[in-house]
Amino acid sequence: MADDAIPKYSPEGLSHDSAEEDPFENARQAGKKNLLQWMEISVAEPEKRVVTSMKVQDTFIVYLVETRITDKNIKYNGDGTSSLWRRYSEFELLQNYLSITYPYIVVPPLPEKKASYVWQNSPTDKFDTEFIERRRAALEIFMLRVAAHPVLSQDKIFIGFMQREDGWKESVYLTDFQSKADSRLKALSASFRLRSPDRQYDELKNYCNELESNIANLLKIRARMADKLYGIHKIHANYGRVYNEWSGIEKDMAEPLQSASHYMNVFSQSVDGILDEEEQYADQLKEYLAFADSLRSVCRKYECLQYDVERAEDNLTYKKSQKDMMEQGKTGGAFSLSGMKTKLFGSDTPEQRDQKIKQLEEQIKQTEEEVQTTSQDLQKFIDASLRDIDRFKRQKVKDLKEIFTNYAVMQIKQCKKGIAIWTSAKDCYTKM
Amino acid sequence: MAENKNEILSPDNSDDQLKFRDPLISGLDASDGEMESLSLDASVRSEPSVSRSSSLMGNLSRYEDCMDEETKDLFVVVDDPEKHTSTLEAYVTFRITTKTTRSEFDDSQFQVRRRYNDFLWLRQKLEESYPTHLVPPLPEKHSLRRLDRFSPEFLKVRQQALQKFLTRLANHPVLSFDKNFQVFLTAKAWEFQAHKKHGTGILSRMSDSIHNISASYMMKNRSPEFSMIYDYIQNFAEKLGVIDRISQRIVKEQTDYVLELCEWGPIYTLWSNSEDELTFPLLAMSRAVDICAQALKETIETTEDNFSQPLKEYILYTDAIKAVLRRRDAIQMEYEATIDELNRKKDEREHVKISDQTYSIGAFLGKDPEDVKQQKQDKLEQQIDELTKKMEELNDRTVCADTDLRVDMERWHKNKQKDIKDLFIEAADRQILYYEKCLKTWEDAIRGIQAKDISQDALESQGIENSPNNLSSEERGDTMEGSSTTSEPQEGTTSSDPSG
Repeated sequence: MADDAIPKYSPEGLSHDSAEEDPFENARQAGKKNLLQWMEISVAEPEKRVVTSMKVQDTFIVYLVETRITDKNIKYNGDGTSSLWRRYSEFELLQNYLSITYPYIVVPPLPEKKASYVWQNSPTDKFDTEFIERRRAALEIFMLRVAAHPVLSQDKIFIGFMQREDGWKESVYLTDFQSKADSRLKALSASFRLRSPDRQYDELKNYCNELESNIANLLKIRARMADKLYGIHKIHANYGRVYNEWSGIEKDMAEPLQSASHYMNVFSQSVDGILDEEEQYADQLKEYLAFADSLRSVCRKYECLQYDVERAEDNLTYKKSQKDMMEQGKTGGAFSLSGMKTKLFGSDTPEQRDQKIKQLEEQIKQTEEEVQTTSQDLQKFIDASLRDIDRFKRQKVKDLKEIFTNYAVMQIKQCKKGIAIWTSAKDCYTKM
Repeated sequence: MAENKNEILSPDNSDDQLKFRDPLISGLDASDGEMESLSLDASVRSEPSVSRSSSLMGNLSRYEDCMDEETKDLFVVVDDPEKHTSTLEAYVTFRITTKTTRSEFDDSQFQVRRRYNDFLWLRQKLEESYPTHLVPPLPEKHSLRRLDRFSPEFLKVRQQALQKFLTRLANHPVLSFDKNFQVFLTAKAWEFQAHKKHGTGILSRMSDSIHNISASYMMKNRSPEFSMIYDYIQNFAEKLGVIDRISQRIVKEQTDYVLELCEWGPIYTLWSNSEDELTFPLLAMSRAVDICAQALKETIETTEDNFSQPLKEYILYTDAIKAVLRRRDAIQMEYEATIDELNRKKDEREHVKISDQTYSIGAFLGKDPEDVKQQKQDKLEQQIDELTKKMEELNDRTVCADTDLRVDMERWHKNKQKDIKDLFIEAADRQILYYEKCLKTWEDAIRGIQAKDISQDALESQGIENSPNNLSSEERGDTMEGSSTTSEPQEGTTSSDPSG
């Protein structure tokens, strides 16, 4: 069982059903590390669909997934382009498949299903154009992240998601990935029963919690900040109104007041753009909030494997001690069960004992093998997951620096806008 | 033309005033949550006043010539508040330094200490002595913000307001020559106290007519000129009231925003504890947020001192104007009442001339009807003479009052325009300063976020793929190439770097 969970880094795992010309295999052999080096991927054009089946109307959004091969040396599918429609639930299926199939990988998360950390003017309707546009952008980022991943980008199901409109869903279910999913369930309690968990994963789990709570707090306060900022700007529209009215009763001040009124309205309206941009920052943070969960799920999967090893080891120790007792015969502890049995029913015949010892030796051998395989699985998992976690960490550092830089750039832009508006307003006042 | 206007205006006049009064009072009482409805009200009411006020401004502009630059020869500075504690009470005095070249003063420089009550006394005296002049307002006795009246913040605000009051008086062509004002500026403490006691004897000559204030609303013949001033002041006061409330609302939202920022910054610091390579960027974010919060905090504080307080002074000023308008109305009313009385007596005289006194009480008592008639006529003639004299006197007073007020209003309009201009420019400057501070903060922050980037790039060039975040596919291709090409020289630098 655990064997399945281990990555298939071997090329055989990918190439067994290769057709006469598999561009993905060719590209891989040509030393392309990921898909993005020779393919352009975009999620464009959300579209609303209404499907009526059995008198039930189902409304949903589909997104156009487009690919284009950018490397002229790679020939595929005629002009090398593909485009097909996918709905959110299909993205969900893909993500689910990937995270179960590659338990050692920090699989990129999907955008949130329902808007969270909302402020008063956030769209609440899931068919809101702004919400859909943000989801589209996030889905594209998801696709690009998977495509940029050295392992995930090679996955047949992932490629099929972009290339095969018909039968893709069936092909996903054919992989029987769900049968591996149940192992996740015991992960919930596994950590409590672990005897000697790896310190690294414990630290990672703590890190996930910290990351999650920090980002969640940032988002929570940001939502409140958006409310306040919105208020500050919008109340300036009242200045606009009262200046305009006031200009009616003034002579020399009338014109400057009217122009100032205009700039107050401009200032009031400027907040809409500002908050749109800030929403992007929130979305980027939200992605890392979800990443914390992906990372935690890797830790959980580690715990499952660790648990398997420990259980096998326990079993082995138990069997060994049983065998020892058998061999020592009556010398077993005065309070042991076998000791009691011996006293009550008389001891076994030497033949019987030999038989049992043999049986135990057989079991011990099996268990030893089990310990060995689970330990190997665990070690493989640890190696692979630590490698990917390392990749994730570097990606995170780079992304967050970029996100923060963008935030600062956005703030600078807003400040410049503010300065421009108030300088114009000041010019009006100077003419009073 | 003017008469025509009068007819058009006067009917809705009193109506308007009533309408204005109500929302103004209730508006001030109402919580500031009603911003939308209040400003909506304002838009509805202000419209009919447009045409009237523009002609008001036309009227006033005619007096501009005679109101040109007066040469300033009286300078007053209020500063150094000092708390005094006696067994009975605690109070604060302010130092008042006067410099002048006026011959009315014995010296060119004076320094006295006065408390708020002394200012109050001075203002009262001025209003009594010059009922037809506009006396600038004093700050309210109690702090609206419920500050401790000995706190430095409160005293600073009060000092500014008192300074304004005295400067306005010193620049006034009539009020600045008032004897009480001079005593206020120059007298030693005990002299001043004595003067205050002595001076109470005068008591207001105006008290009689001031009782009639409420009646003035019923006056029919107020000249359109002053009706328009009244309307304008009502309207102006209302606009300032709305602006004040808007500014309070904004300050409130800003204060809340600062509170959120103050919570937001520390989270980045907290986060930095659990990151190895992001410590600097996160601390840079935290610092930037903190500095911006501080900048906004300062903005809020200066708004209170430099915008809200002067605005409140102007609202009080409009009350002073309304008061002087009422006093003017009272004078006109008295004049008109005298005319009415005179006309009645004249009618009576005509009536007596043609009347038959045979059935009068006098005749009934046995007097000769002709004698009775003569007696009545004589008495009426005498009354008419007296009333005519009184009427002429009151006419003079009315004309004087009108002129005084007209000149004062012209001065006020000029000052107002300048004051409002300064006030608004200052407010815009404050906003610009705030954004400039934030701008610089975020520029610095970028440097902090990007710090240590060189070593980071070196790490990335060793095989980490680019993130798709925020980059279009084309840009991504560029940066990919960029990072791989820069990787070689970087390896060179890191190897030569002793720390690497």
